[in-house]
Amino acid sequence: MFHGMNVSASALTSQRLRMDVTSANMANAESTRGRLVDGEWEPYRRKMVHMQTNGEQSFRNHFLQAQQAETNGVKISRIMEDQTPFRLAYQPEHPDANEDGYVELPNVDPLKEMMDLMSATRSYEANVTTLDAQKSMLMRALEIGR
Amino acid sequence: MNLLNNDAMRLMETSLKAATTRHNTIANNIANADTPGFKAERTVFKHQLAEATGNQLQAYRTDEKHINFGGSNSNESPVITKRNNTAYNHNGNNVDMDHEMAELAKNQIYYNAMIERLNSRFSGIRTALGSGR
Repeated sequence: MFHGMNVSASALTSQRLRMDVTSANMANAESTRGRLVDGEWEPYRRKMVHMQTNGEQSFRNHFLQAQQAETNGVKISRIMEDQTPFRLAYQPEHPDANEDGYVELPNVDPLKEMMDLMSATRSYEANVTTLDAQKSMLMRALEIGR
Repeated sequence: MNLLNNDAMRLMETSLKAATTRHNTIANNIANADTPGFKAERTVFKHQLAEATGNQLQAYRTDEKHINFGGSNSNESPVITKRNNTAYNHNGNNVDMDHEMAELAKNQIYYNAMIERLNSRFSGIRTALGSGR
C-alpha cells in the first residue's frame, strides 16, 4: 500500500546524498591535502554520484517486473572520483608547492557544483510533490464510505 | 439488483486500483529522472493498448444497424508498458519531467473523482436503507 511512498522516499534520500556530495566538493574546493598517497599529499578529488534503479537484477525481480511491474525506486550505486587533472597555481610560498613554485589545487569547478546542486534541489522538490500527492490520495481513500 | 456486488462498483474499484498503479509508475519515473539509461513507464489498460494498436476485439454483426460492442472490461487489470524507443537526455534517460508532473496532477484528480463517485453511491445506498443524511 505504501509502495509509492517508498519509491519517492528512496529518491529523496538519493537526492539528499547528491547534495551532500556537492557540499563536500564545494567545501574542499581549496584542499591541497585530500589523501596521502605513498607518503605524498594529493589534492582533494571531485566526487560524483552514480544513480541506478533500485533492486538487484535477479530472476525474481525480472519476473515481478514482467508480471506485475514492481516499480523499484532509485539508489546511489557508487560515488566516483573525477579523473580530470588538477588545477595548477603559482604560489611559491605555499607549503605544498613543488620545486617550480606551483601548487596542485583540487579539480573542483564551482560552476559544475552549482549546476548539480540546482538539479538535485529541483529533483528533490519534484519528489516531494509526488509524496504529497500520494499522501493526499491515501487520506482520501480513508474517507470512502464516510 | 445486487446492491454492492455489481458492475459499476467493480468498475470503480478497478479504476481506483489503476490510479494507484499509475501513481506508483509516475513516482518511479520521477524518482529515476536522473538515472542514466532509465526508460519511463506508463500504466494503461489492455483495451487502451488494443485501441492504440488497432486490433480490438469486435462484436460480429450480421447487420450494420446492430449496435457495435466489444468485450466487457469492468474487471480488467492495468498493465505497465515501457517507452524504449526514445531518449530525452544524452544519458539515455527518457523521463519528461513536465509530462510526468502533469500526469501526476491528472491522476490525483481522477482518483479523487472516483472516490467522490464511490461515496455518493454509498450514501445513496444509505438513504435507501433509511438512515440517510
